[in-house]
Amino acid sequence: MDKPQAIVIGAGFTGVAVAYDLAQRGIKVTVLERGPLVNGTSGRTHGLLHSGARYAVDDQESAIECIDENLVLRKIIPQVIEPNGGLFIALNESDMAYREAFIQGCADCHISIEELNPRQALTLEPNLNPKLITAFKVPDGTFDPLRLAMGFAASANTHGAEFHLFCEVQDFILDGMGNVKGVKYLDRSSNQINDINSDIVINAAGVWAGEVAALAGNIDLPIKPTPGVMVAYDQRLCQRVINRLNEPGDGDIIVPQRKMITVGTTSFEADNLDYIPVFDDQVQLMFDRGCELIPAIKHTKERGAFMASRPLLDSGTKGRSLTRTFKCFDHKESDNVDGLVTITGGKATTMRLMAEKTADLVCQKLGMHVPCQTAEIPILSYRKFHIAQTREVA
Amino acid sequence: MAKHPQKPINLIKWFDPRNKSLGSWAFILNRITGLGLTLYLFLHLIMLGQLAGGPEAYDGFIALVKNPIFLAGELLVIAAAFIHGLNGIRIGITSFGIAGGKQKQLFIGLMTVAIIAIIYFAIRMFTH
Amino acid sequence: MTQTWSITYEIFRKKGSQAAHYDRFEMKVDPDEYVLDGIERIWAFHDRSLVFSHACHHSTCGACGMVVNGVEKLTCITPIRSVTKDGGVIRVEPMRNFPVISDLSVDMTVFYQRMESVGHQPVVSIAHEDSKGKFDPDDDLLRLSDCIECGLCISACPIALTTPAYLGPAVLAGAQQSGDLNLCVLELVDSENGAWRCHSAYECTEVCPSHVDPAWRIMDLRKKLVSRRIKKFFGVK
Ligand SMILES: Cc1cc2nc3c(=O)[nH]c(=O)nc-3n(C[C@H](O)[C@H](O)[C@H](O)COP(=O)(O)OP(=O)(O)OC[C@H]3O[C@@H](n4cnc5c(N)ncnc54)[C@H](O)[C@@H]3O)c2cc1C
Ligand code: HEM
Ligand code: SF4
Ligand code: FES
Repeated sequence: MDKPQAIVIGAGFTGVAVAYDLAQRGIKVTVLERGPLVNGTSGRTHGLLHSGARYAVDDQESAIECIDENLVLRKIIPQVIEPNGGLFIALNESDMAYREAFIQGCADCHISIEELNPRQALTLEPNLNPKLITAFKVPDGTFDPLRLAMGFAASANTHGAEFHLFCEVQDFILDGMGNVKGVKYLDRSSNQINDINSDIVINAAGVWAGEVAALAGNIDLPIKPTPGVMVAYDQRLCQRVINRLNEPGDGDIIVPQRKMITVGTTSFEADNLDYIPVFDDQVQLMFDRGCELIPAIKHTKERGAFMASRPLLDSGTKGRSLTRTFKCFDHKESDNVDGLVTITGGKATTMRLMAEKTADLVCQKLGMHVPCQTAEIPILSYRKFHIAQTREVA
Repeated sequence: MAKHPQKPINLIKWFDPRNKSLGSWAFILNRITGLGLTLYLFLHLIMLGQLAGGPEAYDGFIALVKNPIFLAGELLVIAAAFIHGLNGIRIGITSFGIAGGKQKQLFIGLMTVAIIAIIYFAIRMFTH
Repeated sequence: MTQTWSITYEIFRKKGSQAAHYDRFEMKVDPDEYVLDGIERIWAFHDRSLVFSHACHHSTCGACGMVVNGVEKLTCITPIRSVTKDGGVIRVEPMRNFPVISDLSVDMTVFYQRMESVGHQPVVSIAHEDSKGKFDPDDDLLRLSDCIECGLCISACPIALTTPAYLGPAVLAGAQQSGDLNLCVLELVDSENGAWRCHSAYECTEVCPSHVDPAWRIMDLRKKLVSRRIKKFFGVK
């Protein structure tokens, strides 16, 4: 019997994880990505492997997903992770007012924390603002964005998944009844338009998922692109992730990575998704906020500044308080278009879980009964990833 | 394993110093002087072979060698030998993991020695 | 506060079997923007067929290496100001010594395979902080290692230009850093196309954006190889 065929649109975290899960369950997967791997938001993340503590007060659903998946990723893909944990530090009375809620929230979400006095915190992280009042240890981590995706893609490769990079999906192939039967795409490296058929198409185009879904007809996805800035500085001033103990806000996280640290982030609403400029005032804001946590940033050179856009789900409210949780749409149910599933929202940290839910739905639609195994099996070395060698020439 | 395309080996690019750092200049210089010295060695052997022609040949040869153009050529050989030899010492030292972080300073230092030596020999040759 | 410069991007283009050429794009830029920002804008607003690689935009992934005005650069952290002047030109080409996929993107598969086969460690102990050898095994903190596998060193290397069989600086540096010179790794690096192929041009260290100093590591690897051979000769284990 021939394997069922699936096309995944987008090779961000979501796309590669979905490709891996589907391929692992025995589906023949073709990934079409208009850029290189992690061309979109995924490449440009902050790199924080969330412990969930950041959301433990406001968004416990996300927090629980984060801590669970944090532990899974540490286990299956240690090759791309700095597993050193993180600190939440309080610098003033307003921070201290958040303390109780934080302790309670972390307990509710089974995130293990440990309170440290200032001296203990400064022994661990000598560059912290010496005025800190209290600190909590949390199980945060850092990941390398490209290699995280490459690892999943490499594992997908070994189960037969093919990655066609620089291939932009331009249209869907529909049957007479408006159901999706395949896609038409432009191969940018040869400037040729090709098409492929499949049993199902998974739209994992992140913030672009709305644009992509709209190609299949009158589909309206509630995605609210909310970009944020991040600024990298040229010295590893801390070994652990440093968070401000307070409501989530601008520039309240510092993530160490290799020999740098990255301060982030902001949150606003954008129109053009393909190019979001880096605004000077936001870079300045990151510098100021970063210096509050680690004063030595003042004497450190900027190494890079960049923007990325969150694919947050619009639940009616504005900006940062949107839920971080992801959603998987079967367009058969929502729009009466069969053969198309959209997965969007979420976080890098929850990529595997998002893929699991999506693959469950896809298998159910294809009438397959195969359990998900991705939480157990180690991911292959990211260096085993390879792009599809044979490009069909139309 | 995916295959590398077999590109035409572009010899000229070895000698293109544009946008290169000091290390490449040293590499290029070493290559040119090394090849120059080898070429000279051949010429030298041919010349020596002709000396077997007896005393006249020897006298003629000495006269030729006293010619300023020939002297200048000889100076080039001396220069090449100093540059190549001293630079070769640098490559030898660093190749064994010694002073690898100081290769630029070493190069500048040794080349200064080479230039002083070349000037010394130039003065000696042309004032005799 | 922000300045505006008018500059021209001169971009190497190649699609499939078509002949290569350069396209020119006149751009208004802020000189403090990075070279990659301009390239991304060309894609977003001028030419959607432009192929280039990038991911993290802050020098941690190594995807954005290109040759900028003749020199290997990590374009996401190279300010426009540092490579041209107002009214000037930025010529952008794909890295040398790699097969070109299209335009500015190259295929790094073989390079990655080589990094894998010499056992380069992607995550190292924090105590590697002094990356030149000191090691404190008490410390249990880890960090991602210095080499971001960008390939700039291989692009800049005159020997890699001579032969694609040469393992190249990053790979030899990876073997040196991994510390584990088992027989498979030895066979690769203690060979004609390994550590002994290097001719000390030091271009790799010159262009490396990530504190690796591959030339130093190649020399250090040679030292290790020689001392191994000497020990073996005298029968010392
Ligand atoms: C500023 C910021 C910081 C963040 N920090 C963190 C963090 O520290 N930790 C964390 O866990 N999460 C973080 N996130 C969230 C996380 O990065 C995103 O949720 C995640 O990257 C989304 O991945 P994705 O695959 O869904 O989308 P994307 O990565 O955007 O992938 C979509 C892909 O689809 C492709 N595509 C689009 N249109 C087409 C088409 N027509 N044809 C083919 N391909 C197409 C795009 O090129 C793109 O590669 C952050 C997000 C932002 C904005
Ligand atoms: C003082 C004595 C000398 C020393 C210390 C010396 C050292 C060296 C070294 C270390 C190299 C290798 C360079 C590299 O790795 O790229 C080299 C290359 C070479 N040498 Fe010498 N050398 C000496 C004399 C000579 C002489 C007398 C000749 C010519 C007859 C010569 C011809 C060459 C040539 C042709 C090369 C190859 C050039 C290249 O690969 O770039 N050398 N030498
Ligand atoms: S050694 Fe440096 S230049 Fe070479 S691949 Fe690694 S980071 Fe890039
Ligand atoms: S884009 Fe990742 S290193 Fe430049």
